[in-house]
Amino acid sequence: MQKTYSAQQQKRGGSNIGRMLWQNKTLILMCLPAIVFFFVFSYLPMPGAYIAFTNFKYNLGIYASPFVGLKNFEFLFRSGQLTLLLRNTVLYNLAFIILGNVVQLFFAITLNEVSNKGYKKIAQSIMFLPYFISDVLVSLLVYNLLNYDYGFISHLVRSMGGEMPKVYQNASAWPFIIVLVNLWKSTGYGTVVYFAAITGMDSSMMEAAQIDGASAWQRIRYITLPTLKPTVIILFLFAIGGILKGNFGLFYNLVGNNSMLFKTTDIIETYVYRSMMNSFNFSQSSAVGLFQSVVGFFIVLGANAFVKHLDPDYALF
Amino acid sequence: MKKLLAVLCAMVMVMGLMPVVLAEPDTSEHVKIVYLVTGDKPTNRTYEVLDKINALLTEKINAELEFRWIEWTDWQTQYNLALATQSGDIDLIGTATDWLDAWPNTQKGAFLPLSEEMLKTYAPKTWESVSQAHWDLCKYDGQIYLIPEDNYAQWTNHGFMYRGDWAKEAGLENGVHSWADLGVYFQYVKDNKEGVIPWDANGNGSSYSPQMAGGWQTSHTGNIAIEGFPVAIFYGVSKDDPYTLSRYYLEGDELVEFARTMKAWADAGYWRADVLNYTGDVVAEMEEGATAAHQHHTQTWTGERTTMERKQPGSDLGFFYFGEEQKNLISLNITHGAMAVAAQSKNPERALMVYDLMRNDPEIYRLMQYGFEGDMYTVDENGLFSRPEGFNDSTDGVSFNFWWGRNDGLEYRNAQLDWDAILALYARYDEVKIDYPYGQYIYDNSMVGPLMDNLSNVYNTYMPRIVFGMNDDPDALVAEFRQALQDAGIEMVMEEVQGQLDAVYRK
Repeated sequence: MQKTYSAQQQKRGGSNIGRMLWQNKTLILMCLPAIVFFFVFSYLPMPGAYIAFTNFKYNLGIYASPFVGLKNFEFLFRSGQLTLLLRNTVLYNLAFIILGNVVQLFFAITLNEVSNKGYKKIAQSIMFLPYFISDVLVSLLVYNLLNYDYGFISHLVRSMGGEMPKVYQNASAWPFIIVLVNLWKSTGYGTVVYFAAITGMDSSMMEAAQIDGASAWQRIRYITLPTLKPTVIILFLFAIGGILKGNFGLFYNLVGNNSMLFKTTDIIETYVYRSMMNSFNFSQSSAVGLFQSVVGFFIVLGANAFVKHLDPDYALF
Repeated sequence: MKKLLAVLCAMVMVMGLMPVVLAEPDTSEHVKIVYLVTGDKPTNRTYEVLDKINALLTEKINAELEFRWIEWTDWQTQYNLALATQSGDIDLIGTATDWLDAWPNTQKGAFLPLSEEMLKTYAPKTWESVSQAHWDLCKYDGQIYLIPEDNYAQWTNHGFMYRGDWAKEAGLENGVHSWADLGVYFQYVKDNKEGVIPWDANGNGSSYSPQMAGGWQTSHTGNIAIEGFPVAIFYGVSKDDPYTLSRYYLEGDELVEFARTMKAWADAGYWRADVLNYTGDVVAEMEEGATAAHQHHTQTWTGERTTMERKQPGSDLGFFYFGEEQKNLISLNITHGAMAVAAQSKNPERALMVYDLMRNDPEIYRLMQYGFEGDMYTVDENGLFSRPEGFNDSTDGVSFNFWWGRNDGLEYRNAQLDWDAILALYARYDEVKIDYPYGQYIYDNSMVGPLMDNLSNVYNTYMPRIVFGMNDDPDALVAEFRQALQDAGIEMVMEEVQGQLDAVYRK
């Protein structure tokens, strides 16, 4: 922490970059794998986005294929589905971001208050586990719980004399199911991130508060939460850039080709997949991806400017 | 000087008249030919057999064969990606015009055009065995791109496998021969076979919609499916008027009747309520006696009949083929399986030489199809082959998945199959079949591509609900579907496709 701080100081002081790099060599070395990763997989392929403006021919390659301007973007806008798709994609992502962060914060703080070390470790591991379960398995789990004829919950409901609703034919149930499944999958991961931030807090503050007689609730309210604020904001800024990008794996596996549910579950990715699964039009699908990324980019810029306006210390750049 | 010129002139003229003498293929350099094929990487004795084949190939043409598998998980995407991203890493590509997008991939430049000289020089036996008419069906823009599997009798028309024993119990003495019979059969199973789902279907798969909807359509009209479209709604009117597009999906009562029937079947519980999300192994269920029917094609039935007889003795698995009521049956297109050479192949000549041997060399062909003789199979005096006792295909077999040039001249019939039943069905097919009428037509997506994608979305949104009766009001759903097709621009697309058909067949 201290080293980054000194680096910022020097930057402001305008001293030369070489010395700054040298002083922070350990940190930079630690970042190197991530930098290389993003360079190779995100920056190097970027010129390839040109494919979205071509009529791509395999034997000519991306750059020699005929240029067609914005023609590949047409299909999404002419589909008549864009409003529905945008609404679903954005609302799901907002639910994931907001609910997700609240639940993660809650668990991180609760875990921190637990003093039994063994329990803490076990709870953390169990919460983390769903993160590693593939969407395909998740969809099978959900199906075996909820399906009408043979589902676990159906059996339970019937054995108690109730009537099981046909969940897989009822679109209005799915926003809840999908958000719930996403929470179940992602809570453990996010909790660990916040928990790490809490662990990294300066313990002298806590000790001082304890000596002054602050209650547990007061410590959380006045020390833990404000300390976590920058982490929350940074994670939020990262997440908001992907607000137009849906989690295809999750949605496609849970819903599949069940068009009875599309009204509330169809997101941009699943729509593109359904429209193009038989035509393999790389140019058109890249056009959609580029559209999502560009919009996401401007949303990040906007959100960052907004945060900067409120409090410059918390902005990303 | 003049004399010399005259002699030169004469020489040039003579040379021009001489048939082109092609140089012997140069095989001095040892090369690896990579063969792109759909299928899971085998865990049986395939690679052991491959070693033997490679020894033969090295000896004959100084080349060897290497597999590149496109595993069944997500195969459509993986296959098309492999073609799109090729960089000389693949040479031979197994393809098909109906199920592996051979023509769209040709248009996108995935395959090398094959000149007659190349084929004559490097694949002479294949060139000889395929008729000029068949080569013409493999041309795009005047050039040959595909080598057809045109000497292999098989049927891949879809329909329903059902249990003959239960059909008899249900009063269907001669088995199931119509959708109405099928309904009777399902109802009998529902009423009398406790715990058996009449038809357990993987409704999650996207192929059910075109198969079932098209099945009803060909059983109730004379319509003929045209291959190669991203959406399966393009049909010719009938064998007497094949080149006019049918308006089946836009008007008429048959589609409504289909929706009503499927709704009634869904309500009667012939399949599970959550069929659209079900992904279980339905074939295994049939073999265990847990479901009474399976929707797939004739070729699958030929093998499944034997398996079922072993696992459910007396089951007498029958096959009701779509189109039976109207005797509406189209022979398999010769490019249902075809081999192509990769556009970026560094050794297209040698690739063709390898293919020629795979297809025509008896020793190599039978190694590929059956494995080592004596050890893995035996042939009896009637030319029927049998596997040894306890033979398990997934550990002891051989899987080259060579579906792109099988050759009846070199095939052995499997002694384990029920040839009486199979040949009886084939004979019924032969009475009514007609040739695929659209072999020369290749759909060009460039004019109406985005509209076609919209139609694809509409079809994939509504058709699963129609096919599995997942709706409250079938009449209203069909009306809604038809309106959505109109909104997506179906009329413009139909006009374009009709124009393309006219350009080929009504010059």
